[in-house]
Amino acid sequence: MDVTFWGVRGSIPSPGPGTVRYGGNTACVSVRLPDGELIILDCGTGARNLGISLLAGPFGKGKGSATLLLSHAHWDHIQGFPFFGPFYVPGNSFTVYGGSRGERLLEDVLERQMAAQFFPVQSFHNMGARIEMRPLGEDKDVRVGSATVRAHANPHGPTPALAFRIDAGGKSLVYASDAGYGTGGPPQAALDLYRGVDLLIHDSTFTPEDRALRLERGLSSLEDAVDCAARAGVKKLALFHYDQDYSDHDVDELVARGRRWLEGRAAAGIEVLGAAEGLTLSL
Amino acid sequence: MRIRFWGVRGSLPVPGPRTERYGGNTSCVEVSSAAGTRIIIDAGTGIRRLGKELMRSEFESGKGAAHILISHTHWDHIQGLPFFAPFYRAGNKLFVYARQRDDQNLRSVLSLQVDSPFFPVPFHKARADVAFRELHDGAHFEINDVVVSCTRLNHPYIATAYALSADGAKVAYIADTAPFSDILFGHEFLAGPPSPHSLLSKSDHKTLRTMRSQVVRLCEGADLVIYDTMFTPEEYRQTPHFGHSRPSDAVDICHDAGARMLALYHHAPDRSDTEVDAVLASTRKEATLTARKLEIIAGFEGLDLALGKQG
Repeated sequence: MDVTFWGVRGSIPSPGPGTVRYGGNTACVSVRLPDGELIILDCGTGARNLGISLLAGPFGKGKGSATLLLSHAHWDHIQGFPFFGPFYVPGNSFTVYGGSRGERLLEDVLERQMAAQFFPVQSFHNMGARIEMRPLGEDKDVRVGSATVRAHANPHGPTPALAFRIDAGGKSLVYASDAGYGTGGPPQAALDLYRGVDLLIHDSTFTPEDRALRLERGLSSLEDAVDCAARAGVKKLALFHYDQDYSDHDVDELVARGRRWLEGRAAAGIEVLGAAEGLTLSL
Repeated sequence: MRIRFWGVRGSLPVPGPRTERYGGNTSCVEVSSAAGTRIIIDAGTGIRRLGKELMRSEFESGKGAAHILISHTHWDHIQGLPFFAPFYRAGNKLFVYARQRDDQNLRSVLSLQVDSPFFPVPFHKARADVAFRELHDGAHFEINDVVVSCTRLNHPYIATAYALSADGAKVAYIADTAPFSDILFGHEFLAGPPSPHSLLSKSDHKTLRTMRSQVVRLCEGADLVIYDTMFTPEEYRQTPHFGHSRPSDAVDICHDAGARMLALYHHAPDRSDTEVDAVLASTRKEATLTARKLEIIAGFEGLDLALGKQG
């Protein structure tokens, strides 16, 4: 499995000289499975650059297919949808999984983003590619090529956000963006999903100090991410979904603090890294 | 009059090293008069940093007032609004203006952006006093000491151009618009360029001519014209139905209006800093060839211009 980060930022894209190393695009991660299937995790503005790179291959000729998993419908996780180039090439085909209770709801959510008041294309039906929406519950695994995908709904302020686990070819990863655990920390069901994965991509929006000031946002601190990694015994932790105001230097600090904490917790051996645009991890 | 650029990009924000100099934030320009009237044109992602700066002034204690003129409600012109900090401080007074629609009122269009499931804080929880004012094409009104005029632009779902006069200076903001020649934009979806055989009707031609002359009038004698110049000529040939102009269209309007300075604006997301430099250089060269006395600059984040009398 090859995992590539296209957008690692939370809330809103944050262009500028302060964010060029980790990147200012909002959430989007691609996963290339060993059998060649493509899974896209969230569709923030990072999806635009992913789309540009995909158009050089079969997607440019209308021969591509991929599966999109949407954690939830906050802007920073869907705002790249109208700008994802492969959607505009007839012949390409996509299955979009989201957490709403029916495909009509998911369609309605994505369609509202495309509406005439907001975007000239007016409807995703005008985009050209075949886009099929499917709801994804927690109760049932989904097969994507050789992979098994399982979801768990984490608390995230007023709405839940899905965490996804992908198992393929003996390797595994979890994508857990936007997790606002309660005072008891991550629930058992979340830890069960994360258990032993090769890579945990975890919400790490804030320092613990900043999170304490913004609890209502329903997001994780670095401490939550590290805690999950240690308790679930993962092999590698990628910090993700940085606050829009954090500079590259601030993220460097976040990563360094994460490393120190894991060493202090006798959980040495877990590798910590800061997700950055353009970074590919091969599992 | 002071003009500051907070976001100059079209379509969507484009972070990264290629856009570091001109900036990757979407549309937002601040205009303040010497007497202290604060007007913000468009609320793309650039408005977030403006909001943070305002929170270091009277907006922090809930005593600020600002007028936000929206050219149209495509995402790149409104997506920063939920991240505009003064909205969340009780006491601040914010006035939002945009073109009147037959189908949906302004408040409900903007509410959708912050409704569940898209954003965690709905409008009614924003604590500032927010008032909405819908404008008809050609509206002419005053915001304290600033005189505002509007006219309709040629863009999908229709956009509004604004001219602001104060302190003996005038600035015009023309985004987004296509040239007034090949397509008459309305509310319908256009899947591609018009076919070579489908000629514009006489009445459409007339509508476009009128629209253009009203834009020229809006820009008449302006000290600064900020203009949507997203496309190169080649890009315009390929996608005229996207509703954006070329630098030459902006130069022509400025020339006809006798404007003093043109700021290229709403740069294409793919345009790197070096490419914007090149567009600027070639636009200047062409304008010189036609002996036009027009100063041309390219908008960038942080650009700060003083026009007319200073307070």
